[in-house]
Amino acid sequence: MADALGRLDLDGGLSEQATEAAARDVDEPVISFRDVHLSFDRPILNGVSFDLGPGTTKIVLGGSGSGKTTILRLILGLLKPDSGAIVVDGTEVSQLSEQEMRAVRMKIGMVFQEGALFDSLTVGDNVGYRLAEEGELEEAEIEDRVREMLGFVGLAALYERMPSELSGGQRRRVAVARALVARPQIMLYDEPTTGLDPITATNLTDLIAKVRDLDGVSSIMVTHQLRDAYNVARTFMLRRDDEYVTSVVDDFAILEGTEFLMLQEGRVLFEGSPHELQTSADPYIKEFLS
Amino acid sequence: MANRTLTFLASLGRRFAQKVKGGVLAVQEYVILSAGGLAAIFTPPRYTREIVAQMDSLGVGSLSIVILTGTFTGMVLALQSAASLDAFGARPYVGRLVSISMVRELGPVLTALMVTGRVGSGMAAELGSMVVTQQIDAMRVLGSDPVRKLVAPRILAGMIMVPILTILSDAVGMFGGSLISVSTLGLSWDFYWRSVGQTLVINDFAMGLTKPVAFGFILTSVGCFMGLRTKGGTQGVGESTTRSVVVASVMILSSDFFMTKLLLAFFPLD
Repeated sequence: MADALGRLDLDGGLSEQATEAAARDVDEPVISFRDVHLSFDRPILNGVSFDLGPGTTKIVLGGSGSGKTTILRLILGLLKPDSGAIVVDGTEVSQLSEQEMRAVRMKIGMVFQEGALFDSLTVGDNVGYRLAEEGELEEAEIEDRVREMLGFVGLAALYERMPSELSGGQRRRVAVARALVARPQIMLYDEPTTGLDPITATNLTDLIAKVRDLDGVSSIMVTHQLRDAYNVARTFMLRRDDEYVTSVVDDFAILEGTEFLMLQEGRVLFEGSPHELQTSADPYIKEFLS
Repeated sequence: MANRTLTFLASLGRRFAQKVKGGVLAVQEYVILSAGGLAAIFTPPRYTREIVAQMDSLGVGSLSIVILTGTFTGMVLALQSAASLDAFGARPYVGRLVSISMVRELGPVLTALMVTGRVGSGMAAELGSMVVTQQIDAMRVLGSDPVRKLVAPRILAGMIMVPILTILSDAVGMFGGSLISVSTLGLSWDFYWRSVGQTLVINDFAMGLTKPVAFGFILTSVGCFMGLRTKGGTQGVGESTTRSVVVASVMILSSDFFMTKLLLAFFPLD
């Protein structure tokens, strides 16, 4: 029996898609930036390069205006770089047309900063939007998938509600459900915890860890909330006997699968493990972490 | 001193050039969006539910203001024209003047301006809010084309509903004129409507119904364009809303002149 995402068996075994992801060549990145430059009135990104491996998480840190969100917009093709290459799951996307980008976007789930839920649609319609647009499933099947997904994020009771009736945390969780409903290979989170209280933010970072650990989904999380970034890196989620089990690792030296990338004025200042970030001697990083 | 003046003139020139460049770019973007919206009307997939919703909002929602403005315009027209016609002893021509003015000119233009104020501004505000809250980006990421999903249904609804509202406005305008003619000007009901019937010919209706199709296109496409290019948060939404009403109104009035000139060649006054 599969869970809401159809990827994890109750005994904790990986489903077909997760196995596929795991079997992929570990050296082949899911997302790759190669010397990407972008300017508007001023330089936004200045020679940014990095890779995101399959099933791993990259947490992008940096101050306001450092180019964090721009990276996500470039991956989604909402912006085009001035130069450089962006490869998403083997496809070079920097010069693709809007029409060609649609196929790439189908592999990606995006959680926008404030959720970006459609005001005129109910929670259920918001979550089922992509499935309805694809037109491959019957309405009843879509409703089943949406209800399952809302259950996965713990909001099954809110199916008929309008977005204006939700709290900030609920909106973000609905946004996560909407991003996950089409079973993406890659998840992008744009400042998902900004403006939330610590408890709600922790619930959300647990949810991000849950998506990563139960589905083997590769993800990029953009944030300037250091506490939430560490929470995602340290939290691990398992499913045993129909229950989710959370474990938190305190020793940063043994953390694997999560990498930090720090931007400063459009340049990559740091890329490495949580432990390397904590022990960095760079004055800007030290100030950022303090 | 001379140097300062030169620097000032140079910066003025640069700013002017930037303004012109921005204007040309905006016109280009508007043409691309409008053409995309029009093309999407004729090619699948079509969002029927969205089209019906827009027709309801634009058409049914505007009924009251169109009826009110149409009626009062017809009444005022009867009063004013009677005052002028009396000088030539031509009061019985009030029905002719009211009907031809309403059908050929005032009905289409006033209806379009009213709908622009009510619906065009609403479209700019709605789409502008969607831009600043990233809903348009979300729509693109989730596999929808915002032009097909948002712009095309609005343009189609405008091109269908503005002519229908214009017919209604023409009718209530002539009715308003008849009320004044009978109650104040001492004309008989039969005489008024007979003169209306004798005056209006197919050319008047052809002209009076061609213009609203173009006006419906203008007010919806400008509303969508201004909404979709909103920048700068809620303040930007307010600016887009104001700009959409101003630009669409000016475009409607100026295009009315050129269309009248052109249509008179095809549908001359008898």
